[in-house]
Amino acid sequence: MSTSPSAPPSLLAAPGSRGPSRRSTILGAAGLAVLAGTYIVLLATRPDAVAGGLGEAAALGAFAGYLAAALLLLAAVLPELPTEAVVLIPAALALNIVLGQFVGSVMLPLYLDSIGTVLVGFLAGRRAGAATGLMGTLIWSLFNPTVLPFAAGAGLIGFLAGTAARWGLVRRVYLAPVAGLATGVVAGVVSAPVAAFVFGGTSGVGTGALVAAFRSMGDGLLSAVTKQALISDPGDKAVVFLAVALLVAALPPRLLRGFRSPAARRDP
Amino acid sequence: MARLHPFTTASFAATTAVVVIASGSRWAAAATVLACAVAAVRTGRLRRFAAACAAVLGPLWASQLMIHALVDRSGAAALWEVGPLRITAGGLDTALGLGLRAAVLVAVGTLAALAVDRHDLVAAIDAAGVPAQLGYIVGAAFGLGPQLAGRSRAIGRAQALRGAGGRGPAGWLRAVRLRAVPLVVATVQDAALRSGHLAARGFPASGAVVRYREVADSRRQRLARRIAPAAGAVLAVVLIAGGGALP
Repeated sequence: MSTSPSAPPSLLAAPGSRGPSRRSTILGAAGLAVLAGTYIVLLATRPDAVAGGLGEAAALGAFAGYLAAALLLLAAVLPELPTEAVVLIPAALALNIVLGQFVGSVMLPLYLDSIGTVLVGFLAGRRAGAATGLMGTLIWSLFNPTVLPFAAGAGLIGFLAGTAARWGLVRRVYLAPVAGLATGVVAGVVSAPVAAFVFGGTSGVGTGALVAAFRSMGDGLLSAVTKQALISDPGDKAVVFLAVALLVAALPPRLLRGFRSPAARRDP
Repeated sequence: MARLHPFTTASFAATTAVVVIASGSRWAAAATVLACAVAAVRTGRLRRFAAACAAVLGPLWASQLMIHALVDRSGAAALWEVGPLRITAGGLDTALGLGLRAAVLVAVGTLAALAVDRHDLVAAIDAAGVPAQLGYIVGAAFGLGPQLAGRSRAIGRAQALRGAGGRGPAGWLRAVRLRAVPLVVATVQDAALRSGHLAARGFPASGAVVRYREVADSRRQRLARRIAPAAGAVLAVVLIAGGGALP
């Protein structure tokens, strides 16, 4: 086992940093290609009717395309995760639910259901973050099947959280909400076609009211859903990124030592 | 009736949902939802089935009604119009179609999830030849959810006993911090310990491992769960190409 000479040995320390394998790269690229392809096709065709005829084809196509992309991305990242990331993922999924429920109990207009996903992205890196988002959605779909096509978007949030940590945006806590805003914009834009073409809008009353307001002002369905997502998601992710950056800052250094992510390394 | 393998249940559920949605038939959709409810009654799971479906479909239907039925811009004759709100028969029809489509997905998915034994699911994933990490994550997530919820409640009670928190937004934020920080620290600490133990035992194992739980399966089931999605996909393409063969 190789450890840094300056750092004390840790049970969590993974063997030397490895890049992704050729198989992982190919599967990841295929997943991203399917995701991008589905997105482009949906944007290019934009069926007028969301229910009946072409609407059903668009719904099934969006569902199948996004789900296939999620499964390919999962197959790319999961087998290569180090053990410390694998054990952190189920704990993070449980945190998503427990903390999300606690915050939801006070009627705040925030989801805050991706705290665990972002935490894993910050601590264990991009691939682990992506795996957490993907697995979290797949497991949650046993309780709510409508979330299934949003798995790729959730994986993207974890991946971008890990990217933010890699770029050092989390070590300066004031930059974390900026990274969250950018992540929210990407996640919102990617998820909007699923919400629009599979479910005809959104799954919540508050967000549905926003979409209805944009529709009443003359927007098409996809445009209205995208605008709603660009209002709801960036704010939510900014709060989540800030909260998790503060949580990481509160973690004892001995716990962080084994994680390889830059977010886990404190400035001297 | 022999118990279905979890993958067989998932395969049949996915095939049913795809074919019914592709048919575009509201009668088929309503009949499927009704059939799921009957199956839930027959297996003694109606209450859980209804509660799970209502929790998902309630807000979804409300949202679809607002988006499609209240602000229809198709130019059709309005049934009722005030300010930006414009209710038309076409808008209500679209909301109904979307609502039934979502109901099929939720009813079939929920029934399948209730029918699958979670221990069987984890064992089936383990035996399926997929990366060992997948089975571990699914199994551990099922176990850790209730455990962390219990720990969160215990932390909340302890903080309340010492009078922590307070009123207003500042008090709420303090309460969140006082609950979240110890919860996350304890969770990461546990993960660190578990990681060491697993790594020391050679996780993820390569090669043959001893399994203590066998999931009932048969050649017929294996064949059925491979053929069903393929046949369903072909049927879906035919139905969509034909503009929906059913009324």
